[in-house]
Amino acid sequence: MEEIGRTGGAEAVINLKSGSSVPISYHPCFGPHEDLLLLEADDKLVSDIFHERVTLRGLPDEDAVLCTESKTYAIKFVGNSNSMFLIPPPSICPGDAQVSDTNNNDNPLVSVLKIVPGNMELVEVSPRLDKLKEILLANPFGAGDVEAMMDVDDDLDHNGKRDLALYTWSDLVNTVQASDEELRNGLQSLSAIEIDGYWRVIDENYLDVILRMLLHNCVLKDWSFDDLDEDEVVDALVADEFPSQLASHCLRVFGSKVNETDKWKLEPRLVCLHFARQILREEKMRLESFMEEWKKKIPDGMEERFEMLEGEVLTEKIGIETRVYIFSVRSLPSTPAERFSVLFKHRSKWEWKDLEPYLRDLHVPRLSMEGLLLKYTRRAQPKADAPPVFSAR
Amino acid sequence: MEIRVKCRCGEEECSQWAIVELQGVVETQASFQGSIQNLEIGRLCHSDSSQGTYTFTVGYHELAGSKVTLKKPLLVLKKLQFDEVSGKATELEVVGIIRTKILFKTRPKPLISGNNLSLSLSLCSVLDWNKLKPLYCFIISSSFRVFKAIKLCSLCLFF
Repeated sequence: MEEIGRTGGAEAVINLKSGSSVPISYHPCFGPHEDLLLLEADDKLVSDIFHERVTLRGLPDEDAVLCTESKTYAIKFVGNSNSMFLIPPPSICPGDAQVSDTNNNDNPLVSVLKIVPGNMELVEVSPRLDKLKEILLANPFGAGDVEAMMDVDDDLDHNGKRDLALYTWSDLVNTVQASDEELRNGLQSLSAIEIDGYWRVIDENYLDVILRMLLHNCVLKDWSFDDLDEDEVVDALVADEFPSQLASHCLRVFGSKVNETDKWKLEPRLVCLHFARQILREEKMRLESFMEEWKKKIPDGMEERFEMLEGEVLTEKIGIETRVYIFSVRSLPSTPAERFSVLFKHRSKWEWKDLEPYLRDLHVPRLSMEGLLLKYTRRAQPKADAPPVFSAR
Repeated sequence: MEIRVKCRCGEEECSQWAIVELQGVVETQASFQGSIQNLEIGRLCHSDSSQGTYTFTVGYHELAGSKVTLKKPLLVLKKLQFDEVSGKATELEVVGIIRTKILFKTRPKPLISGNNLSLSLSLCSVLDWNKLKPLYCFIISSSFRVFKAIKLCSLCLFF
């Protein structure tokens, strides 16, 4: 048998010609080399990694996640009981260049740098956006902030709120385990806004004041809800002493853009829902009195329908009386296990039409809605023609 | 906390690393005092036969295996730590990629014939074959199953 040429290292193993042989030795720098890690990745991820579009995110006490531009992956360490001899390319000695230099001449052809105990694998997971919600809602932007914003010279204004944490985009990236795209979507679904470099959610009561002023202006200036000019709206609200940034934010929260124009239309569902929340707050109300009060709050030209409140309120029957109260999907955890646990703690049996609005936003990689229900619920059908009822597993 | 995964080479130029995987553990004799560095483990041979099999001769044992292309490649990452003025920072750098391994998953065959003995003799003095033997026996009894343990990685691992 004849030894192959002077290439050596990993090449010599991979391209070992049929009929030839090569000795394998321990590397001059053989050792634990704990700074060398193996990561298993599919071709799409490999390309992302080579283009430096990948980061690891989390706090030191959290399980690490790997984020591409649009996805989040949990990192699992897979130990292997086999001996895996790691063979580097020739004349590489990570961490200790000197040894390899002095031994260069009698370097064995193929050598083992390290015995690898296993490798890391990636599993796609949902982004951990509950934390985003938690940290932003801890310090919402309210009327007090507006005063501070309008009156920057007033250094005496230390009402305690200043001490609460504020988050820039890079603070969020360092705190929340989600990819950039998922983080942006998360901020959007929270209706967050960047003010002076910090991402904030607007206090619901303050939003209520702006919205009512906006509706008031619509009546006064005879604007149509479906054809609002952003500049006109902002100018009117600024005249009423609202910051212009928050005026246009109000349009974003309660409306949508009319096909590529500068015009906005208010979404009746969002406006009606807002007023329902303002009425109910922490209370449980008789359905009839709630509907009556709700109707009173809705501006002329909009029509309230109870279906608009899907996923936001629940009803319960006590005797002949039906009561309605707030139970918002937005306040529920986003991981399936926790979501179902909260749902079944709240109510032990759910009909599908009640349950569905509280599951609609759950997107779990590799698991369909059917799969989720199988995993977390028990399905019962009292009669063949009765709707199925779901309870905890 | 955010750790960047950097890469100085492109996908094409990234250097190839390799893995030789076998069951059991190769150990040096208890009495062996010297440094393990540069010590020869065994000889890898790509046999002439049409099946394209590989053998790995370690001492008196011969393993038969094959070249396996990994379904998903393994990236070799190196943890880089440096002290900046602002404090400690960590980065991961891609230093290589592994697309193939030579896998030996069959039971080892003891070599007795004179021909092959010369190959393994050189190792005889450093590797304790009496000790190695029971180790292989243990694996054979557990039907040669590869044991894999999975746990979540804490971010601490990377600091």
